[in-house]
Amino acid sequence: MFNIMLNTKNIELGMSYREQSSWLYLFAMSVTFGPYLVWMSVSPPGGAIGQPGADLSPLWVYAIACAAQVMILGAGHVWLRKQNPDEARAPLDERDRAIQLRSMGVAYKVLLVGMILVGCVMPFTSGGWEIVNAAIFMIVIAQVVRDGLSIWSYRRGWDA
Amino acid sequence: MGCRSGVIAGAGMRKKTITNNIRMLRFLNGEMTQTELGKRVGVTRQTIAAIEAGKYSPSLEAAFGIAEVLGKRLDEVFAWEEDGEWKG
Repeated sequence: MFNIMLNTKNIELGMSYREQSSWLYLFAMSVTFGPYLVWMSVSPPGGAIGQPGADLSPLWVYAIACAAQVMILGAGHVWLRKQNPDEARAPLDERDRAIQLRSMGVAYKVLLVGMILVGCVMPFTSGGWEIVNAAIFMIVIAQVVRDGLSIWSYRRGWDA
Repeated sequence: MGCRSGVIAGAGMRKKTITNNIRMLRFLNGEMTQTELGKRVGVTRQTIAAIEAGKYSPSLEAAFGIAEVLGKRLDEVFAWEEDGEWKG
């Protein structure tokens, strides 16, 4: 019987399509909005939004980051679907749904706290681009929490 | 030999874990693959792998499905034990 247990022939390893998708989302967010936020913190835009002479260059950087993210996600999903066509077509199973539900639930709470800080606290202390970029930062954090928790759950297990 | 899953403990309770015997039963069912078992139960092969490894506790529906496909009763496939070791 011990030999049966050591026989790894009928054990299949590897990431599921859903886990690979989570890695892709995390990667896309990190390489697009990571640099955006670093840039904004290193050289914050000047001038109040809506006033003459306001610096609108962050809008272009934001647009480029969004476009890059869409391209990475699009190309990544096409590639992943080619690697796992059957899994990509299959609906979520119960474990996928449970992991999604948990990670979305935690990310929602992170986003809620972040938006309360940005929308209810920051207007008393900051303004303009600081608030805009803080909101983007909170969205990025919530997304990273969602994808990171999904990956954690797939890797370490549901009960770990 | 089984895999641990679903550690449950509370005040005044001794620690219990869900164990399973799926890997051995797959072997005894003509070396059924995780993919095949997963397809017949309606979950992915990674979910079967996670259940076997004790990283995910399946729903009752999936647990009954696994037992049915393997031709066993539920308690012959899964157990809830204090020491986490399969005794079946």
